[in-house]
Amino acid sequence: MKTLFRMKITMPLILLIALPIVVQAQDAHLQLSSLDHLAGKANQTVDVNVDERLMKAAAKLLSDKDADERGVKQLVEGLKGIYVKSFEFDNAGEYTTADLETIRTQVRGPGWTRLVNVTSKKEGNVEVYLLFNAEQVGGLAVLYTEEKELTVVNIVGPVDLDKLAKLEGQLGVPDLEIEKTKKNNEK
Amino acid sequence: MKTISAIVLALLVFSIPVHAGDDDFKSVVKMIEQFYRVKHQGIPFLAKAGMKAATTAAKVKGGEAKRISEAGSIKVAVFEDQAFNGDFTKFRATLNGTLNDTWMPFIHTISGKSAEQNYIYLRNAGDKYDVLVITIEERDATVVQATLSAKNLALLLKDPEGTGKSITEEATIVDQE
Repeated sequence: MKTLFRMKITMPLILLIALPIVVQAQDAHLQLSSLDHLAGKANQTVDVNVDERLMKAAAKLLSDKDADERGVKQLVEGLKGIYVKSFEFDNAGEYTTADLETIRTQVRGPGWTRLVNVTSKKEGNVEVYLLFNAEQVGGLAVLYTEEKELTVVNIVGPVDLDKLAKLEGQLGVPDLEIEKTKKNNEK
Repeated sequence: MKTISAIVLALLVFSIPVHAGDDDFKSVVKMIEQFYRVKHQGIPFLAKAGMKAATTAAKVKGGEAKRISEAGSIKVAVFEDQAFNGDFTKFRATLNGTLNDTWMPFIHTISGKSAEQNYIYLRNAGDKYDVLVITIEERDATVVQATLSAKNLALLLKDPEGTGKSITEEATIVDQE
């Protein structure tokens, strides 16, 4: 009985401690591991993980005096993570709609808004999603698909398209020409 | 009350980062040997000589090459002319399992055509960063662990693939000298 009583007190306590962690993990950080099996079929695979620990450490460690350090520091400040998975294939049809759906179902969740959707046979398809926490942007996801390519970029934290454009080509974020895509989409 | 104290204590203990010793480098080298059934070339003097030689190489090449010359320590293991046949997805999982949580996987690239795998891990080392670069090709492999200054960390973050390759190239230039 005493043990049961202890458990009754301990369990809610554990839940209280664990719950915020679970809620935080559910924010803008997408689960991309469902795409890992594509690495076996791809000709080229890139997997980037810049988590919050690295972001914080980089922001703390990098100085404002040096131009290189300042540039990266400004980019990572406020961000909580950058995750990229990119696959290039020799042949078309190596990835399926089901693979894409594992990502799309996550960005259809509450708070997510599709900002850009461009379908082009020449330049590929680009879908850009933003997660809003109240009025603040909590994260971003880009799904870029071509016949022989699939790339997912997931940025956690306050980010906009301008910052994404600055991140392109740095910190492992591929150059997806989002700014150009955005302009074309606006026309 | 005891239960609450135990939970608080457990939370405190788990929040303290566990700093790995130098064994991680050796563990990775051993893991590669076991996974691919290969043997690395023993270069016992390299750890000591590496720093000096890398500085010399950096002085000779200057500018762009000066990536690891500020590093506090360099460890290099080279595997030459051996077959690296194996499932790279399994290799990656085994590699992640070998390294403890203090190492953060930063970037992994796999090129199917050239059978080249690149793995870069980072670990906080006070006011610097430890970087572990593992490159596996069809017949050769290299494992380099170096300590990066803030500036070199910035360069690595800006251009992970390019800087990672430079680190390996510089370390293996030392090997050839």
